Amino acid sequence: MTRLVRAELLKLRTTRTTAGIFALTVATTALIMTAVMLIAGRPGQPAIESGILPDLVAVAKGPLVIFALILGVLGMSGEFRFGTATPTFLVTPNRGRVVAAKLVANALAGAALAAASAAVALGIGLPWLLVKGVDITIVDAEVASRLLGLVATSALHAVLGVGLAALVRNQVVAIAAGLLWMRVEGLIPDALQRPGLGRWLPEGAASALTDSGAVTLPMWAGGLLFAAYGLALALIGTRLVVRRDLT
Amino acid sequence: MSAINVHRLSKRFGDVLAVDDLGFEVEEGTVVGFLGPNGAGKTTTLRMLLGLVAPTAGTATFGGRAYRELPAPTRVVGAVLEASGFHPGRTARNHLRVLATAAGLADGLVDEVLGQVGLADAAGRRVGGFSLGMRQRLGLAAALLGDPEVLLLDEPANGLDPEGIHWLRGLVRRQADEGRTVLVSSHLLAEVAQTVDQVVIIARGRLVAQSTLADLTAGAAAAVRVRTPQAEALRDRLAAGGAAVRLDGPEGLVVTGATTEQVGRAAAAAGIVLHEMRFERSNLEEVFLELTNHGGDRS
Repeated sequence: MTRLVRAELLKLRTTRTTAGIFALTVATTALIMTAVMLIAGRPGQPAIESGILPDLVAVAKGPLVIFALILGVLGMSGEFRFGTATPTFLVTPNRGRVVAAKLVANALAGAALAAASAAVALGIGLPWLLVKGVDITIVDAEVASRLLGLVATSALHAVLGVGLAALVRNQVVAIAAGLLWMRVEGLIPDALQRPGLGRWLPEGAASALTDSGAVTLPMWAGGLLFAAYGLALALIGTRLVVRRDLT
Repeated sequence: MSAINVHRLSKRFGDVLAVDDLGFEVEEGTVVGFLGPNGAGKTTTLRMLLGLVAPTAGTATFGGRAYRELPAPTRVVGAVLEASGFHPGRTARNHLRVLATAAGLADGLVDEVLGQVGLADAAGRRVGGFSLGMRQRLGLAAALLGDPEVLLLDEPANGLDPEGIHWLRGLVRRQADEGRTVLVSSHLLAEVAQTVDQVVIIARGRLVAQSTLADLTAGAAAAVRVRTPQAEALRDRLAAGGAAVRLDGPEGLVVTGATTEQVGRAAAAAGIVLHEMRFERSNLEEVFLELTNHGGDRS
């Protein structure tokens, strides 16, 4: 299994797609940080004080999880789009093992994507706060917890992307479905008049990782539930789609 | 034990029966041409052998084991399928490194096989810029990575220029000389006639012939064309020996059922002068057409 994960990581490293997504994440994070620095301290905006630091770590969470999802989708659906599924499955005829290796490799890539985003956010935010004369402690439970949550949600969004693409072979359809769901999910509890339902849905569960609030599950439970959604999609996709004839 | 065994294999795609109760064996160490017109079911059969397509019925095995059950498939079977299967943005070397890593093979083998297929200079280039011929070579390099005992080549000459085809023949021959088993598909008999020991011919998903090339030619009543001023004398002499002979113009003879050696000996024994003698190869192609046009009929 280790060598399959290594092969999947090598696949990620040897195309420009992955580098492109990392570049996009870094650029987006830098842009959002710039905006935050411009408006912070104004009425109705976060105050420039040490309590802002955890929020800065996860400042680009919104676009980050979208990029992680796309990363996962491309990693899986690319095999079918470019026909590399044939050599891949010739080397590893057990297709379930290939999907499993992709889940692990893309989770690692998703985690690295979050780490890159957090590094850029802090790389810009810390000097800014220092210049503003804010007294900051980087070793802080709140900061660490937010960082952990960011890494986990990004990794698991990549897992969700792999799962989605295992079920829907078509790249564009898989990405569109993922993004559409992210927009629509929040409307479902209201539409059903079940406000408590939100935390059990995928994005609601994922939000427990980064947003602590009364409506979310505990962090660990939300993370596990969100992971289960991704793994379930991957499992169903492997059974129904990935095992189909490769003509 | 035969290297490849296809037994009562069938595949149905919706209403189309692509492979229909097909059976043949390939002996270890032989080079076998897998022939049939386009759409005869060659690719589907190869993909079933490789576990990429699930048979509707029957089995396809290597030394008695299905591809999916082989513990290290790349070391047993190397396959070249159609010339896609490459990420256009990945370099040739990285494409092979990915496969070598997944198969647990040494990275050093990558440059070795790239050299073997003549792609050493293009190793660092992205596959998106490769010609069809270069992609075929890269596909071959991938197949050779695990130093397999069996090679399955699906239309490997597609996209190769004449020099490339010549090179491919040499490569297949070398693989065979080293004791490997090769099954090479083609829709052109002439393309593989120089390379193969045997042929398996299919049409409309069914087996129409499995034989050596020699038998196939003999079965086709291959002709020897002779030009001689003593045409009638030679005709009588050959006919007495059992060959079928007909006059073709005042000085021409068409002999079937005899080799050029036999015709030459008969002429020498009777002191007959020959101006020209040639073996007609086109008949092989005719046999192929004949077999594939009618052999698969289900009437």
